[in-house]
Amino acid sequence: MDYRAHLAKRMLMNKKGSLIGAVLAVSIGILVIHVNFVIFQGLYDAIVRDMKAYRFGDVYVTDESGYITKSDIALANWFERIPYVEAAAPRLDSSADINATKYGKKHEKFGVPVVGVDPFRDIRTSTIYTTVGDGQFVFARNSIVLGSIIARDLGGLQVGDDVELTFVNRWGEDQIHRFVVSGITTSAGGQGFDFSVIVHIDTLRSILDRTDETGAIMVKLNDPSKATDVKDLFLRSFPTDDFKAETIEESAESTLRGFRSGIALINLIGYFGMTSSAFAIVTIQMMIVSSKTREIGVMRAIGAKRKDILLLFIFQGIIIGAIGAAAGTALGLVYTAYAKETKLEFEGSLALEVTYNWSKIGQTALTSFALAIAASIYPAYRATKLQPMEAMRTV
Amino acid sequence: MNKIYGEGETVVHAVKDVSFSVKKGELLLIVGSSGSGKSTLLNMIGLLDRPTNGKILIDGIDTTNLKDDALSSFRNSRLGFVFQFSNLLSDLTVLENVLLPKKIQQNDDATDDAMKLLRTVGLEKEIHKRANKISGGQAQRVAIARALINKPLIVLADEPTGNLDSVNAETIVQLMKSMAEKLGQAFIIVTHERDQFGKVDRVITIKDGRAFEGEEPRRMEVTV
Repeated sequence: MDYRAHLAKRMLMNKKGSLIGAVLAVSIGILVIHVNFVIFQGLYDAIVRDMKAYRFGDVYVTDESGYITKSDIALANWFERIPYVEAAAPRLDSSADINATKYGKKHEKFGVPVVGVDPFRDIRTSTIYTTVGDGQFVFARNSIVLGSIIARDLGGLQVGDDVELTFVNRWGEDQIHRFVVSGITTSAGGQGFDFSVIVHIDTLRSILDRTDETGAIMVKLNDPSKATDVKDLFLRSFPTDDFKAETIEESAESTLRGFRSGIALINLIGYFGMTSSAFAIVTIQMMIVSSKTREIGVMRAIGAKRKDILLLFIFQGIIIGAIGAAAGTALGLVYTAYAKETKLEFEGSLALEVTYNWSKIGQTALTSFALAIAASIYPAYRATKLQPMEAMRTV
Repeated sequence: MNKIYGEGETVVHAVKDVSFSVKKGELLLIVGSSGSGKSTLLNMIGLLDRPTNGKILIDGIDTTNLKDDALSSFRNSRLGFVFQFSNLLSDLTVLENVLLPKKIQQNDDATDDAMKLLRTVGLEKEIHKRANKISGGQAQRVAIARALINKPLIVLADEPTGNLDSVNAETIVQLMKSMAEKLGQAFIIVTHERDQFGKVDRVITIKDGRAFEGEEPRRMEVTV
């Protein structure tokens, strides 16, 4: 081992307080970045996950004119012939006023979003059916799944209760339809249908007088990385139609744009924290240099050059950076593993989608390692400026 | 050479018109009272400090205009230092301290030489002890071994016994005298404990920055 590295190691090992302080500074900087990442990126990914699972799938097809007039079965079958596609399902959106009488009291809600689904295709394409915690999905034509907030606002409706929905059909006429509540849907995070109701798509088509029309086709892939390929293939295959196809990133863009800026800001704060750690290292190393003034003088006297002294303290930065980066990354990974295993959530909110982003983890470790080295340059430079005579007067 | 500190009214003429030469194998004692300028003189000879004017020639090389790195290399290869406080590196072991001047040269093959020197100074059993775990007398013997590891032309010792009790001081004196005799290197020793050294090759007395040959303040003849 290079004698300067060896001496740097010994100096640090014999100043355990300084070493622990400097390593902690680096580790905590990294840990802050990891915690930020787990929470905020986890939240972002959880929103994307739920938007994908409940509303858009991996590829979301609509029609520029408003409604898809091609057969939904034909389109779904077309998609399902592609090897990357696991399933495809139609959706039709509308809104209605709802009223229900519970314990002799009438409750009303206006303009409630209504989602029409093909239950047999939907359970293969979307996981919204899993949010039906009470009762079952809309397998019957006159059944309805109420969002938990809607059920609550309508006097605490339960499975088996009746509700009356007033729609406006394509001709502008009111259409009143009664449904039996088959289930209540509850989900965390606001991407589910807690504020909506779900009905059978054919019932909704019939009410709206939009037989054979579909609002959207959501497509679930078994390999989400092929979303763009599937989208492009679809658009190329139907060049004369007014189809619009979007990947989940495109569908979710408007929702997530602001969130991304927030994450960038949080990351920036994390990196500021890391920079503060670098200042802590500068301070600690300046203290080490100060306490080793006499040794520096002796080394210079017996022939060490300025660059040897510079390297000695830069090696200390390397040691601090390496131990700090390793410890910080290990702590960060423990936290990430904990968050992933426990499906971390805060007071019943959305369960975070925790992933190991190895490039980010590596980048964070390397950045803090580089910062620790950079932070050691100034103390090292100051050490080189000590004249042997002056340094040795320090006894 | 001269060494002047400060300016104007605060000027201190620490070393005045001093000129002398030292022969190979010579043991030269520089004596004088505290503040007489003897340590300043030694530091200049050791290239740790530059004279205000004058020249220092070592082995025929004018060191006056050497740049910092060249001075470091010169000190490393041709000079050995023994300080009043042994000034060992407390983070290193006895053996590592002795090897340090070799390591600075990127020479990793000097363990045998170091062991030989440590045997000579009677510390072969202490080689793995940390430098701060040995006694003052032992530390000074390690410092002598360290000063000799690169076989320098001159060993400079600044009050080498100043921090030791009489028994250890006597050991150090005898060690340096025997080394000078055995190894043929010049020893320049600054001390105000003249009596501890007994008979030496030569004595220079410093008084008020001026050098006098011998033990009486008699003006030296300038040779350079």
